[in-house]
Amino acid sequence: MKAAVIVSMGLLALGGCASQVVSIRTVPAQTPAADSAAAAAANAAAFADAVAAEAVAAEPAAGSPEVRDGPPAVPLLTPADAPPMYTYDPWERFNRSAYRFNARFDEAIFLPVANTYRRAPRPVRAGVHNFFGNIAEIDSVINYTLQWRLKYGLRSLERLVINSTIGIGGLFDVATKFKLPGTPTGFATTLAKWGMHPGPYLVIPLLGPSTLRDGVGFLADYGAEYGINVAGLYRGNVSWALGPVNAIDQRANIDFRYYSGGSPFEYETIRFLYVRRRLIEDAGLHGKELPKKPAVDAPAGK
Amino acid sequence: MLLIAFALVCSAPFAIQAEPTELPPQLQPAPGPATGLSDSAGLRATVFGTPPDAMAPLPAKVPLYEINMTLPWRLPVPEILWFDGKLRVWLSAQKKPAPLAIVISGTGSDGNNKTISVLRAALYGAGYHVLTMPSPTFSGFIVSTSSTGVAGDLMQDGHDLYAAMQQIIAHLPRKVRITDIDLLGFSLGGANAAIVKSIDASEGKLKIHRVVMINPPVSLFSSVGRLDRLFSATIGPGEMGVELLYRRLYAQIANLYRASDRLQLDQNFILSAAAVTLKTDAEFSQAIALTYRLQLVDMFFIGDLYAKTGAVIDPERQPKVGDSLEDIQRDLRAKPFADYFTKVFAPYYLKRRPEATSASLIAANRLDIIADALRSDGDYYAQTNSNDLILNKRELDWLQDTLGSRIIVYDHGGHLGEIGDRQQVADMLDMLAGRWPRSGQ
Repeated sequence: MKAAVIVSMGLLALGGCASQVVSIRTVPAQTPAADSAAAAAANAAAFADAVAAEAVAAEPAAGSPEVRDGPPAVPLLTPADAPPMYTYDPWERFNRSAYRFNARFDEAIFLPVANTYRRAPRPVRAGVHNFFGNIAEIDSVINYTLQWRLKYGLRSLERLVINSTIGIGGLFDVATKFKLPGTPTGFATTLAKWGMHPGPYLVIPLLGPSTLRDGVGFLADYGAEYGINVAGLYRGNVSWALGPVNAIDQRANIDFRYYSGGSPFEYETIRFLYVRRRLIEDAGLHGKELPKKPAVDAPAGK
Repeated sequence: MLLIAFALVCSAPFAIQAEPTELPPQLQPAPGPATGLSDSAGLRATVFGTPPDAMAPLPAKVPLYEINMTLPWRLPVPEILWFDGKLRVWLSAQKKPAPLAIVISGTGSDGNNKTISVLRAALYGAGYHVLTMPSPTFSGFIVSTSSTGVAGDLMQDGHDLYAAMQQIIAHLPRKVRITDIDLLGFSLGGANAAIVKSIDASEGKLKIHRVVMINPPVSLFSSVGRLDRLFSATIGPGEMGVELLYRRLYAQIANLYRASDRLQLDQNFILSAAAVTLKTDAEFSQAIALTYRLQLVDMFFIGDLYAKTGAVIDPERQPKVGDSLEDIQRDLRAKPFADYFTKVFAPYYLKRRPEATSASLIAANRLDIIADALRSDGDYYAQTNSNDLILNKRELDWLQDTLGSRIIVYDHGGHLGEIGDRQQVADMLDMLAGRWPRSGQ
């Protein structure tokens, strides 16, 4: 089994490297009707959230002095708080070669395998996805606790219990149907919560864009899962397949293709977006959690 | 960790505007507002596209082949563009014999974006084989297919497109049986499609039947010049204005995210947060101007690299894999399209066409180089909008006068914001099938 998988990966790699005049391959069919409905729903939800958030964010600006019942106002970020447009990237030469390696690996092996996987029946893929999501829930419980966000930690724990039992070992995500949506977290977020800056940009071979902090977080998450060794998965007979299957499942759920935009500046663009997104998430982390009690002494609007 | 918020690319607030350099008189933007014919609704539609409830019904499933080709005339691929060496096009094939519709993408875009997917689905649903191609101004096309490396010349790009189409069709699987060939294109792709048909009319290698241009420009340089002007008017000349734009957007998105109860910043939320912050015409204009500018940056870079004109890249010390390109990118974002013309395009083509002048190069990039064909050949059709920002009144009048009953002008949609709506799709299919103008119109 193991040998067969390795041989077929090798063949796929050779196929990916072959330089023929023309290559024609089937890629997953588009489903415009379903996509536009799903996209419309997701957009509408996000848009509603953004509009609601705008109303909340506008409140302190209105300068209303009385203390509210709802969550206390967080000082708004001003344009001066935005990070500079340059990104701290002292390891750029390494990062660029890792980025190129990742792009080639993705094009030759990772993406074709993920596309093949996407032809498996939807319930099967959902099962695989839920299964790994459920294992990761353990790490979320630990990290929400370390972050002292017990409300979310409890939710993850409930999800873990419900999905492991009623959801038959995590194959079905029943908890989401019980209005307990999954919001995974990890050690990188824990580090961020306690004030650690992302540090230098880092492109991890095979994994992709990251920062030093996020990379450390990833290692710690893996270490925790390896240490706990749920159901003997991480140190048993099937452990060699676990990582690849998890990776393929993740890849199949990400709509990104290296250099699909053809741009010579893709490295710069991705770096810019990745780091800004993480910094905004960090800002959210602090903004959401800091004021535990009504901030009566903090003047509104500051 | 592979998760990447890629969405911001289109609305990413990172551009620097320099003072416009001296322009030849022909390049001075056409008079009138920088937003062309567009009004408030037109700007909004240009940014947001067709609303979901106005969309034409699309098929549940559209099969897709990805075709990667190495073209025999390809120029040597610069090492830093190693990923662009093959032309990538997309085919959705019917199981039975059917006409082939070839769709050409708009400025700087590839053959598989959102707009083109809508057209592909509509055409496939109507029984066409659909082949979607990148714009000749798309990086991947310039490197893999262009015979010059300097994109933007309508005739030259048309010949490259035409040659590539022949190669692709010759290599299609035998089970794809083609009964007829029609062309479509949107934005710049519309003009490309019309030019390719006119080339085919004299060379006759593909026997292209009908052409539908969707929101085509009339004069390439006056349209892009207007967008340059929009950029400097709304984002502002000088570095400060742009840095402020970026900072303002960053703070707004961060504040919205903090105020929401979301625990992760996903693509939908970023886009929605950006959308919520867009309120005024000026903000819509900023988004549009920035999007265009970013689409031109790659073409400018590659053109300079190939033509060795030294506008931003020292021809003696070309960047290698592993070198940072950030400063070059920032430098390019500051440059208007006029700079591409004066520093790369014109020097390159003037050297190769001794009889040409700057003025003649600009004149050659107008749709009226094929005015006779557009007027007399009944197989050219167009769809456009009365509030399209890449046109002015004179250009729209010219299109209507030249195409007569073969153009339809909608009163909404701005630039490309009508693509996929029921009326647009129904009219496009009727035009392609030769049922236009409908009886009674």
